Amino acid sequence: MMSPCANCAQKTQILILDDEPIVCKRLRPAFQKAGYEVETFNDSASAMARIEEKQFDIVITDLKMKGVDGMHFLERIKEIAPNTGVIVITGFATSESAKESFRKGAFDFVAKPFKLNEIIDTVRRLEENRRR
Amino acid sequence: MVTGEMINVIDGLKGLFSFWSPQKPTLPFSVLFKKFRSILERNNRILELMSDMGDKLGGDYVFDRQYVLDISEKIGDLVFKLISDLCVMTQNENVDLFIAFERIQHEIQEELAGRRAFPMTRPTVLLDELNGDLNEEVGNKFANLGDIRNTLGLPTMDGFVITTRAFFDFMEANGLLSHVENSLAALDAKDEAAFEAMCDDVRGRILKGTIPRHVISSMNGMLDILESRARGKPLRFAVRSSAWGEDSEFSFAGQYESVLNVPRKGIAEAYRRVLAGAYAPEAWRYRLHRGYRESEMAMAVGCQVMVEAEVSGAMYTYAPLPLEQEAMVISAAWGLGPAVVEGLAESDTFVLDRLPPHRLLSEELGRKASKMVMEPDGGTAWDEVPQRLRDEPCLSSEYIQRLAQAAIMIERYYRRPQDVEWAFDSKGNLYILQSRPLNVRPNQPERHRLYIDQATLSAHVLFSGKGTVVQGGVASGKVYVARTDDDLRDFPYGAILVARYTSPKYSRVMLKARGILTDVGSATGHMATLAREYRVPTVVDTGVATKVLKTGDEVTLDALRNVVYEGTVKELSQFEITQEEVFEESYEYRMLRRVLKKVNPLNLVDPHSEYFKAARCQTFHDITRFVHEKAVERLIDLSENYQRYHDRTPKRLESSIPLGLVIIDIDKGTSVPAQARSVTVEQIESTPMKALLQGLSESGMWETNPVAVDLGSLMSSFTRTFSSSLAGPEQVGRNLAVISNNYMNLHLRLGYHFNILDAYIGDELNDNYIYFRFLGGVSNLQRRSRRARFIAEVMECFDFRVEVHGDLIVGRLKKMSKEWMVAKMKVIGGLIGYTRQLDVSMISDEQVALHLAEFIKRIQVLTEVRDDVPMCELRSKDADSNP
Repeated sequence: MMSPCANCAQKTQILILDDEPIVCKRLRPAFQKAGYEVETFNDSASAMARIEEKQFDIVITDLKMKGVDGMHFLERIKEIAPNTGVIVITGFATSESAKESFRKGAFDFVAKPFKLNEIIDTVRRLEENRRR
Repeated sequence: MVTGEMINVIDGLKGLFSFWSPQKPTLPFSVLFKKFRSILERNNRILELMSDMGDKLGGDYVFDRQYVLDISEKIGDLVFKLISDLCVMTQNENVDLFIAFERIQHEIQEELAGRRAFPMTRPTVLLDELNGDLNEEVGNKFANLGDIRNTLGLPTMDGFVITTRAFFDFMEANGLLSHVENSLAALDAKDEAAFEAMCDDVRGRILKGTIPRHVISSMNGMLDILESRARGKPLRFAVRSSAWGEDSEFSFAGQYESVLNVPRKGIAEAYRRVLAGAYAPEAWRYRLHRGYRESEMAMAVGCQVMVEAEVSGAMYTYAPLPLEQEAMVISAAWGLGPAVVEGLAESDTFVLDRLPPHRLLSEELGRKASKMVMEPDGGTAWDEVPQRLRDEPCLSSEYIQRLAQAAIMIERYYRRPQDVEWAFDSKGNLYILQSRPLNVRPNQPERHRLYIDQATLSAHVLFSGKGTVVQGGVASGKVYVARTDDDLRDFPYGAILVARYTSPKYSRVMLKARGILTDVGSATGHMATLAREYRVPTVVDTGVATKVLKTGDEVTLDALRNVVYEGTVKELSQFEITQEEVFEESYEYRMLRRVLKKVNPLNLVDPHSEYFKAARCQTFHDITRFVHEKAVERLIDLSENYQRYHDRTPKRLESSIPLGLVIIDIDKGTSVPAQARSVTVEQIESTPMKALLQGLSESGMWETNPVAVDLGSLMSSFTRTFSSSLAGPEQVGRNLAVISNNYMNLHLRLGYHFNILDAYIGDELNDNYIYFRFLGGVSNLQRRSRRARFIAEVMECFDFRVEVHGDLIVGRLKKMSKEWMVAKMKVIGGLIGYTRQLDVSMISDEQVALHLAEFIKRIQVLTEVRDDVPMCELRSKDADSNP
């Protein structure tokens, strides 16, 4: 199995935002193992501040959170860095929220709970897509 | 002579007990039948949600608190509606069921709200009853020891724990809880002298405190039990602290007091000393510095029989060396443990390879001039070590090996390096005294995180993403491919089990195996439950494991990412055990597991038992099972006793096989006129029923005595006579099927076996399903469980999703084409015929494999669908080539 990034000088940078700490705790090591550089945040304010400082290749964000919600976060990312690919993960999946995220430029919409491999595959597809 | 008065009394009694007799139905049959089908649907849905929750424990999924909240709500809602449906069917209020429901629901709500009431309010608990979930009651140290003793089965000394409940009772009774709080509030944080004076004061009060009478009598009860187990031998105890938080995230190592070699009469005194130890200045300061609140302080105290230790010491499963060296280290000395643990005397040091066979890498022998021993009247003393033993290594290579295996087993379970305290007695018995997580992360620079992906990217992947993860985790080791008839007696320690099928028989290697991979199997079966219990990294249904892997291959299984790598990728194991949080120890995992305990276990197994009552329901599964049973009874009652009421003439099935079956055709299930009183097999139009009957008759399973495999056994003749008497007339006529063109609902009691089949087979693939439930009786538990295994294996083999709960087997299959569904239904027909009396012939484990091969051979003619090769054909070939 050859990772798309095995020969890249720079690893793909991922930011993960979810106010349930368990999601970050489980995703970080899984992505690290798969060869990504990961930063995780449990509150949207600090994640918001971070995207102003640094450009990420990929952002994985929850939708329903205290403070700034995922939809606004998604909007802001797309303003600052239109090239950043965004994957929305949510436990309250409705077709409205899915449609709205796609309209705002999300690459994919994944309902919680999901399998680790499922989310990693989504990230791989997103990378493929960005290269094209 | 019957007087008028008596008649009045009888009438009165009749009125009083009228609720006992089943209610005459006031709703049309079609409405009640609809309720019955709704019960079945909800029942299936509940079981599906239960296995969904179970799947989440495997580690494959990322789920959060919200998931646990949502699914708990869903399942509670379904169970409530299930009971309501039953109320309509039976026209009965079912108060006991609603009360059981509310009780369980309330317990779940409390768990979800994070309000853990003390389930254990007893002041003392035997070690035999402990496990990791009881950490609040008995403190972490003894909760861990409970896992080690009761789950992992490692040797520990007998004993009991005086719970945190007893601690609160003691403190309360002596007015100490408020005293401590007030003293702390009045304390000037900077005044060291005042702090120490406060410590002295509290300790003094504890040492003089009165132990409440109920605690004392409970302690005496425990001591009596231990003494009777020791057959009157005078016992000496080690009395140890086990506080909240101790041996968890913060080790508190050496902060709390232990008292060794305590005779029975000294236990109360030692108990007070250990409690007082919690308020020694060092221990109290340690808590305060780490932000512990006083309300988080609770001290359980363990009393364990002393090991008459010849040699004892400590072991780190990761030596304090760079991680790459993959070494573990043992410190050992003659006599009792404190010599080593507290560094009081010279000791030996052995450094070993972490990987089996745990080769000795280096040893350093100390000059062990003195050892700690037990004094005859209690307490400890120092004694001289005989000259010849002083420079000798105090552990043989065999002892080292056993110790290493035990320690690694504990590490694998907790997925954290461990600091294990142990002892060997003079007879060479090993005892684990305690084990706590060893924090090796501080030595881990970022560098470690950086090379993990290089390691996984450069390692050669043998296969990935195949099958279902049952239990996450990382395992490296040599492959051991189990053959069909393998008794696994030679299964090597530390190997990775690779097998064609999941089977409960693999439970015997759970403790030795590093990991498990199967070609076929379900994540909800018995083996899966055990793999989770023991936390053995396991992936089932890979389809390829036995093809790709050979015995002796070295591989690494990453069951979290579901990848199998060639060779040992040691970075993966290191990465795993240095992760910030172990999934199994996370709050969400524990919460889901605790909720599942109120949902999943099945206690109401036998409907004939006197305990099969609504008031006995302890879990949602119990309620579901109970409601289902009652609904079936009601349906049978309605069809038998109220025939005129359901406006359809029941028809007897005319068949060469004596099924005693009565059929109610609700819609185009037969070709006979509506008022006909009998129907032949040929006149059955219902697709599922036709297939089932074909399977029963055409496979020849009914006529053939299944005991043929069991040649020469005395049992066979017994079985033949036994079977005819079992199909006695009292059983006939209880069997009922409700059918339509595409549907069948069948309740079939044959001998003592009870089958329920609910199936829909039509042209629309998505509507198709078969639900099969088997419950058997007769013969002993071992034979019944072999039979259960046989049935489960056959059904798994034919793509059913199977769950085994003791004697109850539930198989489900759905969304397959009509052609396939018909073929599977024939298998069920054959299986019902074949298993009629099977348990009687299940005299050994080998019978399971023999019967499986035999059954598959016989059923094959009936199950060929187009060119597809059924999974089981492969299996029967395997069985043939390994006679």
